[in-house]
Amino acid sequence: MSNPDPSKMKQDCPEKNECLKMLQVILDGEATPEQKEHFLKNHLEECMPCYKNYHLEVAIRQLLKTKCCQDAPQELVDDIKTKVINNLAS
Amino acid sequence: MELEENSPKQNYTEAEKQTIFHGEFMPHINSMYNFAYRLTLDADDAKDLLQDTYLKAYRFIESFQKGTNAKAWLFRILKNSFINDYRKKSKEPSKVDYQEVESYYNSEEVDRQITPDLRVEALKDMIGDEISNALNALDVDFRTVIILCDLEGFKYEEMAKILDIPIGTVRSRLHRARNLLKEKLSEYAKQMGYKTA
Repeated sequence: MSNPDPSKMKQDCPEKNECLKMLQVILDGEATPEQKEHFLKNHLEECMPCYKNYHLEVAIRQLLKTKCCQDAPQELVDDIKTKVINNLAS
Repeated sequence: MELEENSPKQNYTEAEKQTIFHGEFMPHINSMYNFAYRLTLDADDAKDLLQDTYLKAYRFIESFQKGTNAKAWLFRILKNSFINDYRKKSKEPSKVDYQEVESYYNSEEVDRQITPDLRVEALKDMIGDEISNALNALDVDFRTVIILCDLEGFKYEEMAKILDIPIGTVRSRLHRARNLLKEKLSEYAKQMGYKTA
């Protein structure tokens, strides 16, 4: 996506909520190529509220990924492996 | 995906079972632990839930078809174990009637109220536990869809199978969940001194 000129953009979007839903479907990788093309090329670059929403959605996803994933304690992983191996032996 | 249901039973040798367990199940253990922890919100319960799930997965390994999605299969077992064994005794407030919650959040009324004007700059300053706390504060059904989609990258169709709900419900529940998450994040942003218009 290129950098649109804010002064030429709409400051209000009558379909803001529907657009947000579409935006999420696109970011979830569930939109058709046509939906994607139409929304990203025709709408996003001329609509300020949706443009902002896009960046917000992306930022939240990044934050979730960096802050909300914890690895399993190694002890627990070893424990599970041992239990299954014992199970196999029995 | 089915466990104890009418999926065709496979016939694996002990060696094959081992290969599947170590090669296809164990690689997902960190994601599975994170899911268990985010569901129970308790490190000890998460350990028990993870262990139960992996032992169950091993016990029912012949219901798993090689080459199918092991991660989704495991997540579904974990989610069912959580509902059956942990949700009752967990510290969650008494089980919310999900229908009620969902119809409330699906009303247009709420859509108009929840338009948090959260800014990317505010998110950049959330370097502590804000997002984690915001996620944990969501009702477990909303928390779950965010974990499956945004943390684990499951497709809607996979989520529908893991959760036993229609795809349309996955989509709408996700939308609500994200609105609620943004609402929580806006509260933090406000506390951090960001003005929300």
